[in-house]
Amino acid sequence: MGRVPLLLAMLLCAPAFAVDPGPDPVPSVMWEFYRQQWLMDAPYQFDARVRVIAPPFAEDARQVPLQVDARALPGTVQRILVWAELNPLPKIVDFQPGPQVLPWLAVRIRIEQATALRAAVLTDDGIWHVGSTLIDAAGGGCTAPSVVRSEAGWEERLGQVLGARFPREDFSRLRLEVSHPMDNGLVGGVPEFYIEHAELRDAQGQVLATLELFPAVSENPNLSFDLRRAEALRLSLRDNNGNTFDAAID
Amino acid sequence: MRALLLVMLVVSLPSQADLEYRLAPRQVAPDTYVFEGSTENFSRANGGNIVNTGFIVTEAGVVVIDTGPSLRYGRAMRQAIGLVTDKPVVQVLLTHHHPDHALGSQAFADVPIAALSATRELLGEEGDALAENLYRLVGDWMRGTQVRLPDQALEPGVRVFGSHSLRLMAFSGHSGADLAILDERTGVLFAGDLLFYQRALTTPHSPGLAVWRKQLEQLQATPWQVLVAGHGPVARDAKPFVQMLDYLGWLDGLLRESAQAGLEMNEVIATPIPPRFAAISLTRYELIRSVSHLYPQYEQAVMARVDR
Repeated sequence: MGRVPLLLAMLLCAPAFAVDPGPDPVPSVMWEFYRQQWLMDAPYQFDARVRVIAPPFAEDARQVPLQVDARALPGTVQRILVWAELNPLPKIVDFQPGPQVLPWLAVRIRIEQATALRAAVLTDDGIWHVGSTLIDAAGGGCTAPSVVRSEAGWEERLGQVLGARFPREDFSRLRLEVSHPMDNGLVGGVPEFYIEHAELRDAQGQVLATLELFPAVSENPNLSFDLRRAEALRLSLRDNNGNTFDAAID
Repeated sequence: MRALLLVMLVVSLPSQADLEYRLAPRQVAPDTYVFEGSTENFSRANGGNIVNTGFIVTEAGVVVIDTGPSLRYGRAMRQAIGLVTDKPVVQVLLTHHHPDHALGSQAFADVPIAALSATRELLGEEGDALAENLYRLVGDWMRGTQVRLPDQALEPGVRVFGSHSLRLMAFSGHSGADLAILDERTGVLFAGDLLFYQRALTTPHSPGLAVWRKQLEQLQATPWQVLVAGHGPVARDAKPFVQMLDYLGWLDGLLRESAQAGLEMNEVIATPIPPRFAAISLTRYELIRSVSHLYPQYEQAVMARVDR
C-alpha cells in the first residue's frame, strides 16, 4: 500500500472529533489504566484550564483539602470525575453541576501515599479535559483508624449537617460539613459505611447538582459549592446503608 | 580489585564523616551555654539540627535542657559538654514532647530525665510515630534512635542546682504541655517552643492560638535577661516576643477572617504572607500545616446546624 492510501485509511478510522491529548503534566503509572476504566475511548486532552489544587504535601493524610476549578473551560461542563491515582480506592467524587452551579468544587480527601490527583471534566462537546497535580505524603490516610468512631456519641451525631453561605460578587458560596465516619472498609473489622449520594435542589424541588461520593472522601465530609444565585436550597444525602439525611439552607 | 576497593573507600568516607553534628556550645551567660540550631526545616543535610538545646554548669553538676532530635545528637551534646566542664551531667529537663527536642534522651540514660507529666504521656502516646516521621525526613542520622520516656515528673516551682535556682513554669500553648525554665541567677529564659524567633511557629498540638498568646504575655512578664527560643537566635531584648505576638495575632486573624469569608483551605493556604514577616523562615510551609491543624475549628465557628 502506498503512503497516501495509508494516511487516508488512518484518517477514516479515527473518530471525527479526535483530539491530541498532549503531554501528561505529571509522572504517572496509572493514568492509562483509569482512563480506560472511566473515560473509556472518549476523546480527552490534558488541559491546564482545569485547575486541581492541593497543598504540595499532606499535613494530615486523612484530611487533605482538594479544590477543582473548571470555570476557565469554554462550553458547558456536564460532569467532573475526580480521583487519587495511587489510592487503594482511587475514586473521590463524580460531580454533575447543573446550569445554576459553577463547575467548581472543594472537598477534603484521604490519601494513602504520595500520588497524582486528577480531575476529568466532560464538556458538552463530548471531550474530557483533564487537570492534574501531585501531592507528597507520609501516607496512611486511607488505613488510619477512624477519628469519628473514637469520639463518644458519634452515632447520635450521624447525619448532622453544619452549613453556611457566603456572598461573592457574582455568585454564592455554600459550605457544608456532614457528621459521618465515611468508613472505607480498609480498617480492620469496620465494613464500608459512607455517604454515596448527595443532591442539591432549589425550593421547588428542581435538581441543581448531584454528587456521587466515594470512600476516598474524608470522614465528616467537608464540601463547598458555588451557585449562581443565593436562593433557598435543599440538600439530601444517602449513605450505602440506606440512611437518608436532609438539610435546608435559606 | 584493589582499585575498586580504594574507590569504594574514598566514596564511603565522606558520607560517614558527613553525619557529624559538630555541635559548638556558645556561652550566653555565666555558666550557661546554648547549642543553636538552624532555622531550616528537617533535612537529610542537617540531620534535624534545627533546634536550640542548652546546658547550665552548676556547682552540683550540669543541667541539660532538651536532648535534640536523635541519639547521635544527644551523644554529640555530651561530648561537647565534656569539652566545657569535667562536672557530670546530673539532670535532664525536657521542655516538651516534640521529637526535635526529646529524641536524644537515650544518650542520657544514666541521668534522671524530667518533664511535665503530660509531656511524658504525650511522648508515650505519640513518640513512636513522631520518631518514625523523623526517620523519614532526615534518614540515617536517626540510626538507633528510640523514644526514651522521662523518669521524673516535674511540678511547677523552683528547683535548685548549686547556686542556680531554676523557676519551672508549666504552659500548654505550643504542644499541650510546655515547660519554660527561668534561671533566676542569670536571667536566662529557656522558653522551649513557646517562643520561636526568625522561624515560623508550628501548631500540630496547640490547644489554640488565643491560649498561646495569653501564655506568651505571661512569659514575657517574667524577669528574664536573655531569651533562648526553641528555634532561632538567642536574644537579649524583647524582639522575639514582639515578633511572636505579632505573628500569632496575624495567623489567628487570618484564619478567623478566612472562615468568615467562606474560604476553603487551599484558598487560605495561598494567602500572601505580610512583608513584615519576610525575615522569618518557613512561613508558607508552616501556614500550610497550621491551616490543616487549626482551620476546622474556625470553620465550625461560622457554620450552623441546617439538618432537618
